[in-house]
Amino acid sequence: MNFIRQFSGLLRVNLAGATQRLGSVLTIIIGVTCAVGVLVSMLAMEAGARREEMGGVRADRVILRSLGTRSIDGSVPREEATTILDLPGIKKGSNGEPIVVFQTMVPMEGRRRLTGIRIFFALAGVSQKVAEYAPELHLTAGRMFQRGLHELVASNPCVRQFEEFEIGARRSIRGVDWTIVGHFDQGESQQCVVYADVDTLMTTFNRNTYSQVCVMLQSPAAFDVLRNAVNANPTLHLEAVREREAVEDGFKQLNALFTFVGYFVGTIMAIGATLGAVNALYAIVDSRRRELATLRAIGFGPAAIMASVLCESMFLTVPGALLGGALAWIFFNGLAASPFGYSFQLAVTPSLAVTGIVWALAMGLLGGFLPALRAARVPVTTALRAT
Amino acid sequence: MRFLPLIWVGIWRKPGRTVLIFLQVSVAFALFGVLQGLKSGVEQLAAEARADLLIVHTRNGFWSDSLALGMLEQIKSLPGVKVVDPVELFWGTYQKPTERVGIVAVRPDEDWTSAFTFTIAPEYLDAFAKTRTGALMTAELAAKYGWKIGDHIPLVTSLAQQNGSMDWAFDVVGTFTDSDVGAQGNRILVNFTYVNEARQTGNGTAQHFNVAVTNPKLAVTVADAIDRRFANSANETKTESLREMAQSNVQRIGDLDFLIRAIVGAVLVALLFATASMMIQSMRERTPELAVMKTVGFTDRGVFLLILAEALVVCIAAAVLGLALALLAFPFASKFVPRLSMPPIVVVVGLGAAVLVALISAAVPALLAARLKVASALANR
Repeated sequence: MNFIRQFSGLLRVNLAGATQRLGSVLTIIIGVTCAVGVLVSMLAMEAGARREEMGGVRADRVILRSLGTRSIDGSVPREEATTILDLPGIKKGSNGEPIVVFQTMVPMEGRRRLTGIRIFFALAGVSQKVAEYAPELHLTAGRMFQRGLHELVASNPCVRQFEEFEIGARRSIRGVDWTIVGHFDQGESQQCVVYADVDTLMTTFNRNTYSQVCVMLQSPAAFDVLRNAVNANPTLHLEAVREREAVEDGFKQLNALFTFVGYFVGTIMAIGATLGAVNALYAIVDSRRRELATLRAIGFGPAAIMASVLCESMFLTVPGALLGGALAWIFFNGLAASPFGYSFQLAVTPSLAVTGIVWALAMGLLGGFLPALRAARVPVTTALRAT
Repeated sequence: MRFLPLIWVGIWRKPGRTVLIFLQVSVAFALFGVLQGLKSGVEQLAAEARADLLIVHTRNGFWSDSLALGMLEQIKSLPGVKVVDPVELFWGTYQKPTERVGIVAVRPDEDWTSAFTFTIAPEYLDAFAKTRTGALMTAELAAKYGWKIGDHIPLVTSLAQQNGSMDWAFDVVGTFTDSDVGAQGNRILVNFTYVNEARQTGNGTAQHFNVAVTNPKLAVTVADAIDRRFANSANETKTESLREMAQSNVQRIGDLDFLIRAIVGAVLVALLFATASMMIQSMRERTPELAVMKTVGFTDRGVFLLILAEALVVCIAAAVLGLALALLAFPFASKFVPRLSMPPIVVVVGLGAAVLVALISAAVPALLAARLKVASALANR
């Protein structure tokens, strides 16, 4: 009890004196602000990218792909694709046919408006069931492509970002003119996606395998039934994965890069801020030598003093953390970025703010340790005698 | 010069504090070096790509369309063109679907290598030209799969043969190296004529043409001439140099400039504040000493310069250490980007920033020291 009373009393004294040591206190706060601000805004890239990736994911959608591949380089033969139609667990569409979408993907390039920078995007050939498979897809202008015709529909981000996506615009693909006939929004997605009829596209590119097959389940729980059926069928050389998992596989590298860069830069900034805090806290402790010695002389224990200094240092980092998080939110939240051609908005989320505060407290704890030790060890007699 | 010992003593007056400030500045400049080095390094690398090698592709892009081989002769007849070679790129997998090998089909005409960034030994060049199904591999692939000259390598590809089969086989006849920036190691070169004749569709076309010019200075003119030659035809072209393509790839990374600038800005702001507040603190503690120095004849200007000099020495020394750390850490970063190196300009800019940080953070304390009134400073004490 005594320790706690001493500790809380000391902490009050410490914090009350903060305004008198404005220089040192501000050093800590500004250092932590910058470190947390940078950490949070770097991690906001990953959070934003992840939000964009996962935004359209549904639990009742399953991707069937050839073993060990990612969607873009998958190869599913037509015979296997036909077998999929008869698998159990698949939801039936309005006309009684299973909701299965055959997909083939081709890289295409567009040019940014104004800058003319070349950007790659996916041209996906899809079969007719796509409307039922992706109910979040809404045409905003024009109409859907027609089977057998060289027609394209483009998502609105394409139209906004790139040249030559207006309705009626023609693009030559493999020597054939393709016409843009519609624009659509797909949920909240910021990506440029272009759809065409899968069979027409495959004929154009001389392909006889699909990249992947997408399936809608009767319910999310039907996944196991479907997966077991796929694994049990010796003619299928495929694996069934939930949409979430497939998307995660596809973005593994990008996300890993964002995470690495975020924590790498954040750690270095945190080291710098911690060093600054150590210096500032030493200065605070040194300027209070006589006061601390007096406290020791009238009976305050070294443990209570040490704990109070540690706690003070952690306390001082909190405004920095809040300010850093706020600045990151003001400057970067919602900022549109498209590194490597993947468009998303940076997202400063509450969980990132918590991460920032935890890091700040850790900086305070580490940075406060040595100065707290010095405060607790102030030699009573010499310190009192000193002028 | 005689003030050097005085500066030295001033710096080490509180060793703990100096070491901490020193480390903080070092850390900040290490981060600055890595970030700025990566950014400028990548830009510099792109600028080093060959500007005299031209790539002709259709106006619709690199992947989605193809050019008729008949255009080759028309391009060759344009003034300034030395060599034109057709190229077809496709992917194959070796044994497992995950083991991807890039296949680059080129036509071994006379002097064809001058239109590419490849280096090939004369005997391999000869064997490649003579072997219809010949392939040249990179050292990386040779090591990875244990391929040797004379090996017969089967690949499953995305390109159908006449009989509908997606399987192709090539005979390894040698090795090649590629000096292009960001060149990928998992590639083989094969014979365009063989691929073109054996494939099911797309015969008589190529994805793009590589063009070598007679004089590097003519590159831009030749590129314009090629595009003008095919303007308003069914085969409109877009001709770019390797450098232009590399630079537009760098731009694709895009938008990170702002972020890097914001981080570097935050680093410097935090640093400025920390050093300035430490300098003021230290100045306060030294008020009596400075007053004594003035009493024994140091001028205001001398004291001012002394404080500035202390800050400069610490900041520059720390920046040197930080930038050296960044240089050491750089090989790790360049794992992602082959042949990346830190441009010297980054070091120069870093040292400049260090001087700036020192001058700004020491300006206030140095001014305070210079204005110190001897009598009152000594009396206060």
